[in-house]
Amino acid sequence: MAVPPPAAEIESHRGYLMRVAQLQLRDRESAEDAVQETLLAALAARDGFSGRSSLKTWLTGILKHKIVDAIRRRQREPRATASFEEELDLDDFDGLFRSNGAWDTPPADWGDPVAALDRREFLDILDFCLDKLPPNTGRVFMMREVMELETDEICKELAITANNLWVILYRARVSLRQCLEQNWFAGTPAR
Amino acid sequence: MLSCREASRLLSRMQDEELPPLRRFMLKMHLTACDGCTRFKAQLEFLREAMQRYRA
Repeated sequence: MAVPPPAAEIESHRGYLMRVAQLQLRDRESAEDAVQETLLAALAARDGFSGRSSLKTWLTGILKHKIVDAIRRRQREPRATASFEEELDLDDFDGLFRSNGAWDTPPADWGDPVAALDRREFLDILDFCLDKLPPNTGRVFMMREVMELETDEICKELAITANNLWVILYRARVSLRQCLEQNWFAGTPAR
Repeated sequence: MLSCREASRLLSRMQDEELPPLRRFMLKMHLTACDGCTRFKAQLEFLREAMQRYRA
């Protein structure tokens, strides 16, 4: 049986949880609420922490539920999906491809990118790139990749079609790919 | 024949669900002939791995 994590150790993850919640919810106040609820729930349930996963993973799991609750609450507000429309239009991606549909500038050779994952600076760049995504795009991408919701769950939560979801995730991935290439991999020599 | 524009969309979609057989076949054909899309595919897979690290 693992020793329950001390309150201070749980609290020490507040900054990380806040970053995830804020990226996800795009609203400081609801992010703070979700994190606060998460920390309280974690303190109340810390005897049940098995130590099989890392504390951070366990906390992120709790946060996930609090975020979904917050998104669900927000869906009931009338202005919830107001700005989805403009992120569904891929006109601004036209420049990526020539008129025949071929890459204008094909993706570069990133060499062996996995090595970058051990670099703190790389994760900072990733953070920076995530922050630059349009709000709904960032939110949906985090639901998919950090909270690992299935696509039908996301569509249901946000009341959007599968087609809308593919467009949004495509926008997120293409933008992130480009941002990482410009800010990190540009210096990687081609092999 | 798929264009890179279409192939890149299918490669993103493939991260979320299994593609219908015909699309999968067309994509495979495209990838054998296209270095840009082959890199794009590897980079999307890397991005997923990076997000797992970001979360951990």
